[in-house]
Amino acid sequence: MAVTIHDTLDVKRDIKHYDFGMPFWEATRQKKLVIQYCKVAKKYQHFPRPVSIFTGRRRDIEWREVSGKGTVFSFTIAHRGPPAFQGAEPYAIASVTLDVGVNVIAGVVDCTAEELKVGMKVKPYWQPLANGEHLLFWQPDRDAA
Amino acid sequence: MSLRDHAIVAYAETKVMKKSDRDVWVLAGEILEALLDKTGFDKAEIDALVLSGLTGTGGSSQFWSQSMCDMLGLEVGFCEEVHTGGCSSIGTIARAAAAIDAGLCEVALCLFADTHVREHNGRNERSYRRDWTEPYGLLGPPGAFGLLQRAYDAKHGVDLNALGKLAVTQRNHALLNENACEELRVPITVEDYLNSRMIADPIRLLDCVMLADGAAGLIVTSRKRAREKGLHKCVIPLGYAERTNFLGGETLIDVTRSGHEIAGRKALAAAKLNIKDIRSFHPYDDFLIALVMQFEAFGFCKPGQGMAFVRDTDLSHTGTLPMNTGGGQISAGQAASSSGNLIEAIRQLMGEGGPRQVKDTTNALVTGIGWINYGRNWGSSAALALVPSE
Repeated sequence: MAVTIHDTLDVKRDIKHYDFGMPFWEATRQKKLVIQYCKVAKKYQHFPRPVSIFTGRRRDIEWREVSGKGTVFSFTIAHRGPPAFQGAEPYAIASVTLDVGVNVIAGVVDCTAEELKVGMKVKPYWQPLANGEHLLFWQPDRDAA
Repeated sequence: MSLRDHAIVAYAETKVMKKSDRDVWVLAGEILEALLDKTGFDKAEIDALVLSGLTGTGGSSQFWSQSMCDMLGLEVGFCEEVHTGGCSSIGTIARAAAAIDAGLCEVALCLFADTHVREHNGRNERSYRRDWTEPYGLLGPPGAFGLLQRAYDAKHGVDLNALGKLAVTQRNHALLNENACEELRVPITVEDYLNSRMIADPIRLLDCVMLADGAAGLIVTSRKRAREKGLHKCVIPLGYAERTNFLGGETLIDVTRSGHEIAGRKALAAAKLNIKDIRSFHPYDDFLIALVMQFEAFGFCKPGQGMAFVRDTDLSHTGTLPMNTGGGQISAGQAASSSGNLIEAIRQLMGEGGPRQVKDTTNALVTGIGWINYGRNWGSSAALALVPSE
């Protein structure tokens, strides 16, 4: 059965941030993806935390820009959304394993139900927000091998 | 003293209602009255109140357990609300026993009253969601379990007929449970499961728990006090363990593994039981896939063999491993702070299962699942091994 997957780009959003996650959101103004990196564990973590989840220390964290290229680890297709999303269903949300080794959840755009599979290559798509920030989405990386 | 020196001397429950026709405090009062009548304890002998914090009605109150004492006229030396989500109901027993051991109290009322359909006062939850999942319209638990079930499918494969068998088995139990939500006491088939509408693909409607209203409660005291009171028909908590934020200090974990690995091992070790010794199993069921993952995590079968285990095992109340004999939450309703499976296990061990009574009441294992974390599985995992007193 063919399912057309919609995007949710037209949904109005007012996203409240925690101050320790602001470097992520500030970077999105330039459509850059930055992720927290633990210098001691030499691993990335997402979503942003006030400390390294590996060592428990604030001082071990730095922010690193990454390409945002990755592969779909898992996905779900919402057939029923929260109130602001009602009418946009069905739409897809994917957990993507970035090439640097961390999972990031975001909505999926420009993708058919037939294409959307675990293991599919994706890259970022940046949707402008009213405050000048951008919201990260995933789109198929059709040039990737 | 240790956990096993304590006893659950009585249980009480209301019928699960799609929407309560009575106030949450009225339900709490019904439970208190029933427990006092069953045990012969005087109200003044109840000197601890332990609530489950999994409550929508009490949700935004910082003073829920204290106001409950006030409303019920209870004067206590230990007043507590347990906050491990769906692990909270079994968590109250461990905390009540620990408080009794510490000399803080002697007779604890563990109370699970909630009318989150009739009156939901908001979780006011401060979490990752507002930045990291809500902007994408990920619908709470179904969305999270959609991601989880797809990941399980990619790693091990999902057999929809096995999930359908779980749905039907639990529904058949609800048909035998007069306290299950009446609207759910309708027979279903595997076809009905397969054809139920998608909510968060691959999660279907009949994968999901339905919120409902109701109340339940227990009295926990020392075995010594129970004997002195002449309460001989008891259930003994032999082993309990919980794990919150399993592998929380790691990235890129295997999401098909959970803290039940650790909680199960520790609870069974404390109970001096092997998983193969378990005679009835009452696992937390918010979504059917969680049942499969628990068969694996607790060691009923190997990782990745959960679907085959379901296919090959009779999980009905007359089967080789009776499971959620009251219907589970999915077919009885998610009510009373998710205490239904716990109450069912105690009822069975007391031999009061009626038309769904299991034959072998040697022991029972009850579990909990609590909270939803970011792209993993769940926040807390808990396990409680129970045996009858005689």
